[in-house]
Amino acid sequence: MTTTSGEVPGTGPGGAAGSGNGAETLRADTAFERATIGLSTSLLAVVIALGLGAVILAGSGENPLTAYGAILVGSFGDWFAIGETLARAAPLAVVGVGAAVALRAGVITIGAQGQLIAGSLGALCAGFVLRDVPTGVGVPLAAVAGALFGMVWVLIPALLRAHLNVNEILSTLLFNEFAFLLLAYLLNNPLKEPRAITPKSEPLPDSVVLGDLVASTRLHAGVLAVVLIVALFALWTRSTMGYRYDLFGENPRLAHSLGIPGRRVICNSLLISGALAGLAGWLQAAGLLQRLFVDIAEEIGFFGLVVAMLGGARPLGILAAALLVGALQSGGLHMQATEGIPASLSDVIQALILLGFAVRYAPQIAAIGRRVVRSLSDSFGAVAAWGRTGPDRRAPGAGTGEHREA
Amino acid sequence: MSNEAPPETAFEARGVSRRFGATLALDTVDFDLRSGEIHALVGENGAGKTTLAKIVAGALRPDSGTLRLFGEPYSPRRRSDGSAAGVAHVRQQLSLVRGLTVAQNIELGRPRALGGTRWRPWPRAFNSRAARAEVERLTGELDLAVPADELVDDLPLAVRQQAEILISLAWGARLLILDEPSSALGPLETDALISLCLRLRDEGTPIIYISHRLPELARLADRLTVLRQGKVVTAGRDVHDADLRRIAELMIGDISLLDVERPAPEPGEVRLDADGLHVAAEHGPGLRGVSLRVRGGEIVGVVGVAGNGQDELAGVLTGQLRPDAGGVCIDGIDVTGSPAAAIGAGVALLPEDRTAGLAADFSVAENLIARRVADRQFARLGLRLTKAVRRHARALAERFDVRPPEPALRAGSLSGGNQQKLMAAREMERNPAVLVAAGPTKGLDPHAGRAIRDRCFEAAGLGGAVLIISADLDEIAELAQRVVVLSGGRVTDRFGVEEMTSARLGAVMAGLAWDPSTGAGHSDTASGAPE
Repeated sequence: MTTTSGEVPGTGPGGAAGSGNGAETLRADTAFERATIGLSTSLLAVVIALGLGAVILAGSGENPLTAYGAILVGSFGDWFAIGETLARAAPLAVVGVGAAVALRAGVITIGAQGQLIAGSLGALCAGFVLRDVPTGVGVPLAAVAGALFGMVWVLIPALLRAHLNVNEILSTLLFNEFAFLLLAYLLNNPLKEPRAITPKSEPLPDSVVLGDLVASTRLHAGVLAVVLIVALFALWTRSTMGYRYDLFGENPRLAHSLGIPGRRVICNSLLISGALAGLAGWLQAAGLLQRLFVDIAEEIGFFGLVVAMLGGARPLGILAAALLVGALQSGGLHMQATEGIPASLSDVIQALILLGFAVRYAPQIAAIGRRVVRSLSDSFGAVAAWGRTGPDRRAPGAGTGEHREA
Repeated sequence: MSNEAPPETAFEARGVSRRFGATLALDTVDFDLRSGEIHALVGENGAGKTTLAKIVAGALRPDSGTLRLFGEPYSPRRRSDGSAAGVAHVRQQLSLVRGLTVAQNIELGRPRALGGTRWRPWPRAFNSRAARAEVERLTGELDLAVPADELVDDLPLAVRQQAEILISLAWGARLLILDEPSSALGPLETDALISLCLRLRDEGTPIIYISHRLPELARLADRLTVLRQGKVVTAGRDVHDADLRRIAELMIGDISLLDVERPAPEPGEVRLDADGLHVAAEHGPGLRGVSLRVRGGEIVGVVGVAGNGQDELAGVLTGQLRPDAGGVCIDGIDVTGSPAAAIGAGVALLPEDRTAGLAADFSVAENLIARRVADRQFARLGLRLTKAVRRHARALAERFDVRPPEPALRAGSLSGGNQQKLMAAREMERNPAVLVAAGPTKGLDPHAGRAIRDRCFEAAGLGGAVLIISADLDEIAELAQRVVVLSGGRVTDRFGVEEMTSARLGAVMAGLAWDPSTGAGHSDTASGAPE
């Protein structure tokens, strides 16, 4: 069964990747047929996932219907719930866009956690410096500081990957640890609010704090920045530069032969993803929480990657996936609170539903997955080779797969 | 076919055919291997040697025909059936597992019938003393120096190959297939390989030896079978009676120069000027001082057995590979080591490996603008103009007869011939100054092949310098006006296409020196032999 994507093909690599099999000619399906096939697969997969979840819930002695009802109520039931969903979706979408830029260029970064922490520290620093400026100046500058800190946090992994072919998954993962430990140290010592019991920073000054968008919700004005970022990403996918980055991710050898500088692509796509993760940190610090906690990053960095892949690394897909994950998280919390369902069970249900959606988008995910596998095998191969012969200083893309004479 | 009932036939194939899509890779082939002989299987690339080898090994099933192994009917369904029956296939890409020692490799894949590992839920001690003793016994018997305890990764290629042969013997091989075993070996290593094969034969292991290097076969093989385009041209000929030059001619077939309409050469200015190119390669000879000049309107063919520097040459000429010495000029502009400069100077490349030349997950339209995304025609303010791109793609795809000419289609879903046409459309849309085409019609059906060939003529007709790099002599004979022979990273011969005869080409390609005065190839004075 082929799930042909309903989107207009040819607008991006993701869009063209819909028909994953080697069909000789254009399939005769009408757009309507494609859409219905797509929709029915999607519904079927989600229904199966919900069914599995229901079995698990029933097995744990919970009523599946009231549990699912609680998820719905907790995610879209009232203004507060909707605000909560959007506020959770916002950083996920921003991290997702950054991860998508890198994924499309064939680079897998899982360093968003650390970059997010760095970005929140950036926002805090901006708060210290800009205590007495008007909000119109303080807020954007704090955002820039967050983005810059995120970029700085990915700079070393990016340079290592581009010039010494050091696996970016390993290096960014390690930098997550550094960031977490640094934050824990800072919040327990120099930045600790004096009389607080748990480690947390002092509140950010009003000059850099994002105001509430809707009264009596936690929905802050930073959500508007998310819309802007996704729109910019939509332009990126249509831009000539975005095309070159995509081409490098799709076929590094072809990109090399067309004179696209691989090192720069790798380095810049990592820096972009770092800047965006840093912005997500700014959203958390200046918008949602208005101060720093040790767990400020929650699991946003990792779920951002899920959002990017689930959304097929495309703008609207990322928005939809971020909303889905945001809704599941806030609904899951509500389910825990009102139905007394344990947090772990709630996580299992959330994961199952996500899996259902992942099946629906399997071809798109497969297309991204192919890049991931290719880039993994390249970098692990390079690491193995490095162990024997020292770093591989060839230009990225040059010479991969040479000498494959049959 | 050898009609006299051979004493003890180790392997026998009767009327074996195998089809891949539109091509008949093997066409009612008869083949027999006597016990205690080395039987050479020769032929050009794509003649069906490897297909036959895979059938013997059990990796492929024939569409029709019968097989017998050591007198018994033999119908393996997969490679493991073949190895259980005692057939070992040593491929060009060796199958040893890196990160393990030779002894561990023996343990890893040992067939169950020989006490190999069954699946167990816990890991098994890998450094079995038995495996090490086995390596030592076999190295002693065969007079080899294969260390049992060293990581495969640390062994030189030749030793790895010996290890692979040794392992297949440890796994109970009674028949060996060696597929192009010498292609990556130096002369001394080849000597060692030959003496190993002879020793194995004398101890009763028959060998099917696939190669196209005739001088080597003359020293090694007892009999020889020539395949051409899936058919047996000469079956089981005694090597010692055979005339190597005649064999080379048989391998290649008749080169017909007459039936091609060739545009009259009107050489213009020198457009491609490569001087003194040296490239050190990890595998193979690289380039060792290649100079090449191609004038506008000229089509030059570079022939040679694959792996003699062709990849490096194509890479250097298109700026993708920076040579260790020497330089490349296009119309007087230095493009050495810069793909962007090469594209700017009007270099077009049709790479032999099509996966290197297309973005399979991109649409046809996106592939077609890869060289000129940022052109004013296709982009405004850094954003792509989707409509213009699509319109352009449709027109271009129709012009180059890409079927279907559907801009939104995923490029990877096109057939091989249409992928090649798509690539040609992208590269040759605007008359290239220099076209480097590596095996441009390889694997294409006749119709698509003709279309691509006509594009090459067109490029030359419009004043471009065209270089065809190919191991397919028919392709060279059809296209080229001048021929350059690349062997061991050097240009070993140059001549006009009218001087191209089967005998001459066969001799130079098979690594024999060509003596123009007598028109004979000498195996004893092999010069510029690969490696």
